[in-house]
This record gives sequence, C-alpha cells and structure tokens, in this order.
Amino acid sequence: MDSVIAVRELRVRDGDKNLVGPVSFELKQGSTTGLCGPSGAGKSTVLRALVDLLPHGLSRDGEIRVLGRPVAFRKGDADLRAKIVLVPQTPVVFGGSVLDNTLFGLRHVMRAPAEELRARAEQALKETGLWKEVRDRLDSPAQTLSIGQRQRLCLARALALEPTALLLDEPTSALDEQSRDTVEESVTALGGSRTVLLVSHDSAQVERLCDATVRLELPETLRHLAVVP
Amino acid sequence: MASGTLEQPPKDLEVSRRPRPSRWVWAWTYAGGLSVVVVLLILVGYLAAGAASGEIDRTTLLTASEWSPAHSAYGSLAMIYGSAVVCVVALCLAVPIGWAAAVALSEYVPPRLARPLRLCIELLAAVPSIVYGLIGIMVVRPFVAQVADVTSGDSILAAGIVLAVMITPTVVAVSVDALAAVPDRYREAAFSLGLTRREVVRSAVLPIARPGMRAAVLLGLARALGEAIAVFLIVGRADGHLPTTFGEFLDSLVHPGQTLTTKLAGPEPVLAGTSGPHFAALCTLGIILLGLVATATVWGTYRSSRGGADRGSQPHWSMARLRTQRDRLALWLRISALLLPGALLVGMLAILVTRGSAAFDPSFWFTPATGSVGGGVSEQVLGTLLLVVTTGLIALPLGFGAGILIGVRASTRTARLLQTLTVVVGGTPTILLGLAGFVILSSAMGWGRSWLAGAIVLVPVVVPVIALTTASRAMGMPPELTESALSLGLSRTQLIRSVVVPYAWPATVTGLLLGLARAAGETAPLLFTATVFFGASALPDGIVNSPVQALPTHIFTLSQDSGDPQAITQAWGSAMVLVLITAVLLSMAVVLRNRFEGERWTA
Repeated sequence: MDSVIAVRELRVRDGDKNLVGPVSFELKQGSTTGLCGPSGAGKSTVLRALVDLLPHGLSRDGEIRVLGRPVAFRKGDADLRAKIVLVPQTPVVFGGSVLDNTLFGLRHVMRAPAEELRARAEQALKETGLWKEVRDRLDSPAQTLSIGQRQRLCLARALALEPTALLLDEPTSALDEQSRDTVEESVTALGGSRTVLLVSHDSAQVERLCDATVRLELPETLRHLAVVP
Repeated sequence: MASGTLEQPPKDLEVSRRPRPSRWVWAWTYAGGLSVVVVLLILVGYLAAGAASGEIDRTTLLTASEWSPAHSAYGSLAMIYGSAVVCVVALCLAVPIGWAAAVALSEYVPPRLARPLRLCIELLAAVPSIVYGLIGIMVVRPFVAQVADVTSGDSILAAGIVLAVMITPTVVAVSVDALAAVPDRYREAAFSLGLTRREVVRSAVLPIARPGMRAAVLLGLARALGEAIAVFLIVGRADGHLPTTFGEFLDSLVHPGQTLTTKLAGPEPVLAGTSGPHFAALCTLGIILLGLVATATVWGTYRSSRGGADRGSQPHWSMARLRTQRDRLALWLRISALLLPGALLVGMLAILVTRGSAAFDPSFWFTPATGSVGGGVSEQVLGTLLLVVTTGLIALPLGFGAGILIGVRASTRTARLLQTLTVVVGGTPTILLGLAGFVILSSAMGWGRSWLAGAIVLVPVVVPVIALTTASRAMGMPPELTESALSLGLSRTQLIRSVVVPYAWPATVTGLLLGLARAAGETAPLLFTATVFFGASALPDGIVNSPVQALPTHIFTLSQDSGDPQAITQAWGSAMVLVLITAVLLSMAVVLRNRFEGERWTA
C-alpha cells in the first residue's frame, strides 16, 4: 500500500523549547490510524503542525511527505489544507444554510456549476449519514442543527473536498453517547476509502475504529510537568 | 458514488482552478491602511513645514507670554497656561462625578433601568460641541458673572465648566465599558464569600476595571484639550494673561483668557498667510497641541486595552457590626452620584426643547433662512446632509479596509502600529484638520471655500471610527472560525472575503453611523474650508468656490451675535435640529450594535 502521509522527526517548538515530539509515523492509503498519548503530549498540536495551523509563536521542523513528495514548510499553504483536511474538536458552524456550510470549503477551491456542487454536497452528507436528517432543510440555517449533527456537518464539509486525508481531532469528545455512536459509524464507514488520522484520549474508541496506532510521548523536557494542551 | 458528471478530485498537490483569486482584497485593505498613514503624514508634514517657514525664536515662544503679531512678539505661555487650567478645572469636576456615576450605573442600578440610562449617556457624549458652547453662553456665562461678580462671564472658569459638562458623558461611557468588561464570575465569587455589595465593588470589581477607568480620564482629557469651538465661544480670547501670584491666579480664573485651540480657531490663521514668522508660530502651536492630544489619546487607549488587574486589591477590614449600615450608605452615595449627570441630562434636554422649540415646527426645516433673524434652516440641513453623505462615501471603503487590515493582522507589529496611528488620527483636534484643509485644499489647490473640501476634511474624523469598530469586531472573531475555514483549504484572501467580512460588516455600519453623527456636528474643520453664513445655493454645482451652508457653522455664527435675541432663538432652533439629526444617526447605530453584537450589557 502507498503511504499517503509520511512524517519524520516532527517537532513543535516554542522558541528553543521543544513542546512536542519528535514523532514519526506513516499513514497508509485507506487506513484509519489512531494518535494517542497522555494529556499535554501535543496530539492536537501534531495535527495542526501537519497543516500549518499552529498557534502564533510556535514553529515546527522535521519532514512531511504527502503522496511521496516532500512538503515545503512555508507559511499558510491553503492548497495543502484542501487536500489534508483538519476537523476541529468542537464543531464550528458558519453563518448560512446547511448547504452553504457543506459547500463552504469546496466553493473556494473549485469552480463548478451549482448542480455539480450540490451533487457533491449530497454525496458528502450521505457519507456521514446526515443526508436523511437534513435533506428537507438544506436551505434552513445550520445553527438549527443539534450538536451531533453539527459535528457530522463538519465532517461532511471536509469530505465534500474529497481530501487525500482527514485529520480528526477528538471528534466525539463534545458529544453525548448517542451522537458519539453516529459519528463513530460515519468514521467506520469511511474505512478503506479514506485515509484518516484520529486523535482520541479514549483507548476503547481507538481500538474500535483504528487499524493502526501511533503513540505520542511527552517530550523529555516536559516529562516532569503536567502540561495543559 | 459520485455521479459521472463530477469532476474527479485533483489527485496531485496543486488545486487546479481556485475560483475568485480576489487579490484585490489585499490591495483594498492596504489602501485603507495607507489612507490613515497619509492623513497623519500630511498633517504632521504641513505643520512641520509651516513651523519651518519663518524665523521664530522657539525658546521665546515657550517662555514668553506676549503674543502680538503686529510687534512680532510670539510667546505662547499664556495660551499653554490657559489650556492647562481649563483642562484641570474640567477634569476636577468631571472625573469624580463621572467615576461615581459609572459605578452606580454598572453595579447598583438594575439592568433594566441601566440600559436606557447608558444609552442616554452615549447620546450626551455625541451631542455636538457647538451645542455645549451654546449652553455655555446661555447658562454658564451668566452664572459665572453673577457668582464672581464680574461684568462678563467670559472666562477660563466658564470654559472649564463647559468642558466638564462636555467630557462627563465620555468619562462615564468609557468607565462603564471598563466595569462591564469585568467578568461576572468575579462578582459571583466575591458575593459567595459573604461580601456586601460595596465590598464586592471595592475588592473584586474596581481592581480589574481600574486601568480602563483611568483610560476614561485620559480620553476625556484628550477631548478637552482638543476642543476648539465650545471654548472659543466663552473663554474670552484675551491674550497675554499670565498670573504670577496666587491671588492673581484666582482672579485670572474669572477673567478672559486664551487657549491653544481658540488661538487657532480665531481669525489669525487666515490672516497669517502661508509662510513667515506669524504662520510659523501658529504651526508650532499646532504641533504642541497635536503632541499633547496624541500623547493623551495613545496613553489612554493603551491603558484601556491592557485591562486586567495590574495590582491586587488591599484587604479592606471592616467591622462586622457596621457592614450592613456601610453598605446602605454606599448604596445611597452611589445612587446620588447619578443625580448630577441625570440632572444635567434633564436640564440640557429641557433647555434644548424649550429654547429650540422652533425645530418642532416642520416649516423651520423646510424654509430657507432670511439673514440672522428669521426663516428656517432648509439650506443648512441640505448642506449638512451633502457634507455628511459625501464624507461617508469616501470614508466607508477606506475605514473598512483599514479595519479589516488591523483585524486580520492583529498580531503583527505593523498592525499594532497602524492601530495606534488610527487612534491618533481619531483623536486629532479637528481644528488642525480644518487648518490643513484650508492651507492645502482651499489655498494651494485654489478650491476656495468648497463643499468637497469640507467633506474631505471630515473624512479623517470618520475613518478612524469605522476602522476601530471594524477592527475590534474582527479581532473578537472566535479563533475556531478562522481555523475551520483555513483547514478547509481557504486562502487568506478567501478567508477575509467569506468569513471576516460577513462577520465584521455590522460593526462597520455601526462605526459609519457613529462617525457620521460626529462629523455632522463638527464645526471647526468647516469654518475656513467649506461653509459661508449665507449666500450659497442649497446644493452647489461645482467644486471650486462652491461653498455650502451647514448647521454647526450656522449656529456658531449666530451664537457669536449673542446680544440679539432673535439670532439666539434661531441658533437654538438650529441646535435642536442638529441634535435631532445626530440622535437619529446614533440611535440607528445603537440598534444595529445591539442586534448584531449581542447583549453588551453584563450585569
């Protein structure tokens, strides 16, 4: 199998201080990989380092290869982010309708007629199992969705981009049990067709969903502290 | 599966055809940012060039008090003294009252009542200074004349009192903002430890709000220092009065004096030409004034934005036996502190409504003036609207661009510098804008008095208000929105277009309305550049030598003729019209703000 993302010796620094890593891993085509580790090891930070969305003041080094090609560590690479899509922990809904939100990213990276875009939105919503719940209210405000639906909406709008890989940051931590199950189902349904990197502090969840695991340890400089991420 | 018509996702790393490259977004935001810098450069450049255009002895300028262009004597010490005393008098009256009223409004008055009261305070803060000047003439001047037993009440004391009335709303409004910004969890935590309300305010709320409340003083000071028109009407404008003993000092308070701004608002800048020692001396005064006001504004803004507790509160020991009684006492003291601003509000309204009753007759709005004795103000209303609309059209794109630039680049040093510069431009004494406009547009470019010159001179009044409200809204945008949008592959310009602009524009409209409310009441920038008292057509048909008539300058001219009761009646009617126009603009802004920015009140 091809490796979609290969990371070698990735570190995140705050000035001279090493906050995260070094960490190395490979994501195989179509696999679901879990990223686990103690609180403060920087699981979410690794995801953000991959797509260059680190908080102000933090810097990264190491090597990232996407589809076998090294990725330059330049600032603000929007094209890369349209390929490797991060889905943040708490669902963020933009103003506008459900459809607007589903197409939020796609509209900006692809020029296509409205019917094509709509077809793609429908496809993405079906993949997350949200379609049957929202098909009648695609044009109503996205703010009316429940929190579990919002989380799947965020997943759907990432899928609408047909990304090379998905980075999911604790996708179920903000949800109740029932919503968690539906989101987990959606993630399972992606298995085989999408490459997923899933951050979770719930080892049972990682076991349920993932076929490989990467463990992230606290960097040596931070071992003596418990750091809040 | 995807239908066959779908374009296959590009498998490679380049996104194929990204729509809407919108590179113009940057061009536009940078144009907005640049406009602020350009205004400041023009202002400083013109003052510096002017100050260098003639031989003057700068030491004498700062140490001598005799000002007499006829004898080539340029000493400004008496004016600096006048400015200082006027400001000290204003602050001594406005700060204690303003602070106490702010605490009462934020911590004691129930929110249901506090909201409309706060709105009234904001309305008062937006009343054009020419109206305060008029009140000074009608109320404060006779009061000083009677109390101090002097023939005319024109005096430094009267000017100080009028400025105090003028800046009290500013002090209250900014202080209330600082108090409202203290998170409720602090109050809750303190109450749950068994503190009385007075103790909660003293130990939990004030330590956090203190920097913001001090900033309110500095912003009030900046407004008092830069005010030209209201002071001009009642300070007496007598040169060279500098006391040397304490007795003389007390005496000087109730006699006419001169301040930096009133010197610049008088006829001298027009008589001085555009070079030579007289002009150089006036420009140097401008530099001193700009420096003082800019220092106070920047310092004040920096303090309020820093926020937070800069030092812990001292424990206040109180005897358990008297705690409830003290709390009661504090309650009554605080509530009574509201009475004075409240009385001010009611009094001003009463004066405006009774004396300006002409404004409630529709025909007053729709008939032209006949000299200074009768008719209405239709031409002045039209002229003011023309100026305000033109200013708004120019200022909106510039201020919006600058605000977005500051907002999205908030963390960088350049953006912070730009924000500081914007604050400075916003605090610039408007008389300096008027003089720059007079020298550059009216004289050098040969426009004479022109409505367009007036509108352009008002642009720097409006742009900072739009830019700062837009920027603060954009900076307050939840970071998750940015992160989510970027992680979906949006470029920076797309982020601005699709996320920042839709999020920030309500604040922009609010800023525009607030800015225009301020611009509508400005007198000083228009005096030399755009308006005439009469003889202008209601709507001009050219640019060069095409003056208009405007409400603020109309009131200014009428009120200098205070011996003529009919002129004064006309002035009050016009003032009421002007207040109504600004009130409409301001209420629209407040309604918008409440609707889009959520409930600001957190009590």
